[in-house]
Amino acid sequence: MAELAGAVLAGLYAPVDIPTTPASLLWMFPLLLSIAVVYKTTRIRVLFWKTFVREVLILFLTLSGFMILAGIVLNLVVWLMTS
Amino acid sequence: MQMKSHRPIDHIVWLFLVGMAAWAVPGGGHFLIGQRRHAYVLFTTIVLTFLVGLYIGSIGIVDPVGARLWYLAQILTSPIVGWLGQIAQKGDYFVAGRAQDYGQIYTALAGLLNLLCILNAVYRAYSGIGEVIGQEEENG
Repeated sequence: MAELAGAVLAGLYAPVDIPTTPASLLWMFPLLLSIAVVYKTTRIRVLFWKTFVREVLILFLTLSGFMILAGIVLNLVVWLMTS
Repeated sequence: MQMKSHRPIDHIVWLFLVGMAAWAVPGGGHFLIGQRRHAYVLFTTIVLTFLVGLYIGSIGIVDPVGARLWYLAQILTSPIVGWLGQIAQKGDYFVAGRAQDYGQIYTALAGLLNLLCILNAVYRAYSGIGEVIGQEEENG
């Protein structure tokens, strides 16, 4: 536990090493989840947990799907322009 | 704590208080108008997003001088970010590349999401939705 706390505190003073690989794009998904949770919380009038989780999941999957689609389309455009 | 008086000046003060609470602590505005569940979810999500951003890029990404526009978005998370900016200015925290990009995006997005929450809390306080939901949540 102390090691974990130490690692977290050290992380606040030194940046994490993120290589420039396609895998670094995976950092996008936690952000999409945050957006989905906050947006749904501001939209729902009464918060029932089951409904809330379902709605957040649907929005998260929609956003993720759209972003993946946008990535594929952009890659195709670049491929067409450079080939 | 709910607004009972309907005098216009009291209502404006109440809206201001809700807005300030929402800025001071993410979810604070919703907590004040009685929407406790909303408040817990918003607090957890926004604070976690900001902390992940700090973890990725270190406190060097809170830069009131070199990255002013990012800082303006970041400080919407809470006034505490201003204090973090002071610390970052005094120390030598070098950050660059992807870590800087992702860190800034996470922390700035946390601020912008909190702006959405501030506006939502003030709107709910203005329209009285919070009072109704607060009672519904207490009973349910």
